[in-house]
Amino acid sequence: MTDHAILTSEAHRTLRIRTEAAAELGDAMMCAITVPSEFRQVQNDYAILFRLDDTRENFTALAMFGFENGENLYLADGRWDAAHRPLSIDIQPFLIGSADEAGARQVHIDMASPRIGAGEGMRVFDDEGRATPYLETIAEKLGALDAGYQDSRDFFAALRRYDLLEPLVLEVTLDDGSTNRLVGFHAIDEAKLQGLDAAALGELHAADHLMPIFMALASLANLSGLIARKNRRLRHG
Amino acid sequence: MAKAVSKIVVVGGGTAGWLAACLIAARARPGALDVTLVESPDIPTIGVGEGTWPTMRRTLERIGIAEADFLLACDASFKQGSRFVGWQTGAAGEHYYHPFAVPVDGEPRDLVAAWDGARPFAETVGPQPRVCGLDLAPRQRAMPGYAGALNYAYHLDAGKLAALLAAHATERLGVRHVRDHVVGVDRAEDGDIAAVRTRDSGAIGGDLFLDCTGHAALLIGEQFGVPFIDRSDVLFNDRALAVQVPVAPGSAIASTTNATAHDAGWIWDIGLPTRRGVGCVYASAFTSDEAAAETLSAYLRSAMPEADTSQLSFRRLSFRSGHRERFWERNCLAVGLSAGFLEPLEASAIVLIELSLDALLENFPATREGMDIQARRFNALFRYRWDRIVEFLKLHYVLSERDQPYWRAHRDPASIPPRLAELLELWRDQPPSRADLPMLDEIFPAASYQYVLYGMGFAPPAAGAIRSDGVAAVTSQIRQAEQRARALAAALPTNRAYLDALRAEAAPAGKRYAE
Repeated sequence: MTDHAILTSEAHRTLRIRTEAAAELGDAMMCAITVPSEFRQVQNDYAILFRLDDTRENFTALAMFGFENGENLYLADGRWDAAHRPLSIDIQPFLIGSADEAGARQVHIDMASPRIGAGEGMRVFDDEGRATPYLETIAEKLGALDAGYQDSRDFFAALRRYDLLEPLVLEVTLDDGSTNRLVGFHAIDEAKLQGLDAAALGELHAADHLMPIFMALASLANLSGLIARKNRRLRHG
Repeated sequence: MAKAVSKIVVVGGGTAGWLAACLIAARARPGALDVTLVESPDIPTIGVGEGTWPTMRRTLERIGIAEADFLLACDASFKQGSRFVGWQTGAAGEHYYHPFAVPVDGEPRDLVAAWDGARPFAETVGPQPRVCGLDLAPRQRAMPGYAGALNYAYHLDAGKLAALLAAHATERLGVRHVRDHVVGVDRAEDGDIAAVRTRDSGAIGGDLFLDCTGHAALLIGEQFGVPFIDRSDVLFNDRALAVQVPVAPGSAIASTTNATAHDAGWIWDIGLPTRRGVGCVYASAFTSDEAAAETLSAYLRSAMPEADTSQLSFRRLSFRSGHRERFWERNCLAVGLSAGFLEPLEASAIVLIELSLDALLENFPATREGMDIQARRFNALFRYRWDRIVEFLKLHYVLSERDQPYWRAHRDPASIPPRLAELLELWRDQPPSRADLPMLDEIFPAASYQYVLYGMGFAPPAAGAIRSDGVAAVTSQIRQAEQRARALAAALPTNRAYLDALRAEAAPAGKRYAE
């Protein structure tokens, strides 16, 4: 259930948003959307994988938190155990709306989100109706995320053009002998990437796609960290 | 061979006695000290001070009580400083803050030069007054216990604090609790206290005795006859009328102790989740009990118009501002009201208990032989501290322009301690600084003097002959403090929201199902 509304200082003057990390606030998810412009930050902590949408036409980039639905291995004891959270998590429960007559994008809010606080949490507007520093930061992040989305179409077109994505099937045997599988995801095809000629690399670089491609490739090192988190959780129940 | 100091006897079970028993037992090496507290079953405790200093966070942490447990058990709320209303002229709306947070970094001279006067001093040099003005808590519940976004202390129910400490001392810290009357004191040949004799539990012997018997001062006063130094020539207030007013659920809880000046004293107003403690402090030489009662009633009518105050009765307290000439005599240390009392303007009662115990424990005498040296040092340190507190309290009065006889008498040079008079002379040319307060652990830092001085409208000094080079750096920090104030105002819950959420979470989980 969602309940989207345009954020206004009149309607949301005293609104508070709970910003802590918790399963009951909607953080129990196995992955979240990320965009190429933030791959550099995201690859520090998470594996970045790609998935085709239901139409089998468009790819989405995802930062991975777990192996099954509802499993977030970065979430423990009320905190998110990583230096950086992907923008799409950080901006909850806000969304970017369609442009108004003047072309400016509106900030929307999901009033059905569990992040809508009562007495505790971050104020969005102060008593005078001015945006708080928190909302200013949110607006910046929404802008960055929106720009990232716009740019990602070109990025995925380029990946397809050079056939740089390959299906990834990850099967892991955990310490307790159980097997976990990640199915339906794609990753950067390293061999194809290495086989690109100078002209192709030059074109990808000129369009600012080369860095995020390498960041996504490097992010796969975090898969072993994710497995280690899963094993730790198994040990500690 | 010298005998180790191992048996500690605390006489008296109020805030001082139980803080002493808890701190000593909690900080002792296991098995090294044996702590007994003797408490008379029918002497009511005074329960001085419903306001603490930030030191209380460290004290409670050392004792081993979780902050949430303390907040719930003592009906406590957060205190971030004091707000003085009407002290300068008494004009409507006039007030200033003395927050616990120190100003932004910088030399005092640069700080004052960077203050453009567009906003009051405290509001300019730090974010805390703005947070206080919005009744916000200094921390979020997700933060670790005793940590905050801003420096803070507590407002609390002192009776409940003593009960919490008593339970913790006896159940967790192994303190022996003797409920009995002290009927006499046995002295050793050398003059030390050998034991306190009780009515039904016999003699309780010890190596070190803590006199926490309040105004009675059974050991330091009655036994040892250490003279009391009366400071009422400087601080005139000697009475208070106190009242507790229940508050409506959901009502705002103030972040500061509010101290409102009146014609012959001032009124404290301390907000707890369930009640407000309000009291009229006055000087009997300048006003009558009846007039003070009318002053208090008028305050309640204007400050709490929604409350029904007609059924409330005022409790009258008498006191004398002053302290002992010495606090540690032979093998007896006076802690709490037995050591002295000053009017509660800056909530100095509980912090002096904590500081006395810190000083004892940081230089704990290993044997009786070492005790006299420790006692001499302790006495010198605390004479210095009481003097500084007396001067700092006096500072609140001497800068007033109020015209009533009480306030004029406060400005009479004969009533101003010479050291304070000299500092006031100096502060025309330079702001309060470390140089005025040379001790390592000053009880009030230079910042406190700045807050009161400039809050009361004292003119900042003109630029001197020596250049200040740090003004630009301080100015930039002041701008950052403004941004920080905005961020904190957005991030911190109100005291009410915080404390109600804490209480809701602590409510027994099974209850929801039972309903």
